[in-house]
Amino acid sequence: MRRSAEKSDNRKMGVNLTPMIDVVFQLLIYFLLATNFALGEQVFRLDLPDRSGTSEKADPFELIDEPLRIRVTSVGEAGDQLQIAIEGPYPQPQSLRALELFLQESLSNKTGFFLDDHPVDIVPAPTTRWEHVVDVFNAAVRAGYTKVQFAAPE
Amino acid sequence: MSRVHRRGPASIEANLTPMIDMTFLLVVFFVLVSQISEVEVIEMELPKPIPTASAPPPEETRSVLNVIPDDVGGAIGYRLNGLDFALGENGIESLRSELTNLYRSNPDLRINLRADRRTQQKHIDPVLNAITSAARASGRNTPARVNLVVTTTREVSDA
Repeated sequence: MRRSAEKSDNRKMGVNLTPMIDVVFQLLIYFLLATNFALGEQVFRLDLPDRSGTSEKADPFELIDEPLRIRVTSVGEAGDQLQIAIEGPYPQPQSLRALELFLQESLSNKTGFFLDDHPVDIVPAPTTRWEHVVDVFNAAVRAGYTKVQFAAPE
Repeated sequence: MSRVHRRGPASIEANLTPMIDMTFLLVVFFVLVSQISEVEVIEMELPKPIPTASAPPPEETRSVLNVIPDDVGGAIGYRLNGLDFALGENGIESLRSELTNLYRSNPDLRINLRADRRTQQKHIDPVLNAITSAARASGRNTPARVNLVVTTTREVSDA
């Protein structure tokens, strides 16, 4: 603005930048607010086991733990009810909270006999909702198990 | 930029040019970033376990794999890093080869798996299988590593 004014002695020529700055600031504020770097998203870390069972190197000294298999099904009209069933001679939990308590109690540092790296297999049905699978996964992780895996749907 | 005022007293003015430069840079940055995150992250209702044992995503090399949801618990396809894949055998097969390429170029890759909370397991299990077999085909000897993405803040409405 100033320089162009200096060149011409008596006439002031210049672009009024104020409206542009206004608009640019509006855009800036809009994008600042609208940009969401996936905030509030968290993750569960999970190692996917090789289900083919061929490439795994067998350690002859390692005892094979029979995994604790938890069947997860979505029931109800809309499929929004969670149903949990533990395979084997265990008490059947009626809710997620009960499942978590059972898993906690089953750890060897509590009253049970499972080590915390005892494999826990989550067995969903083909129609099980993802949220129910994640809920059960969450319960097992919260209870303290480190080897929680997904089995193929049955 | 010398300011020589031949006429009259010197007036005090702020030089706005650097500020405008910076502002433009910020605008361009946010425009680009918002487009990138749209490509990677599809709008969906993530599972919301309460209370959760999940952790904030660590800074590491990862690819985002979305299971694109429909409204009734099904899926209409998969999206990996902005590439769309169809449901069914062929789609899964091309997803698998794409994942194999990714694993070859970066063996430490983690996959961020995003699926809607209503999506049924039959649409997610093929993805898990594809990731496993892609990791195996790429020749890595550690298990495929996956991040299950959940949300902690977004409101989940009941459907």
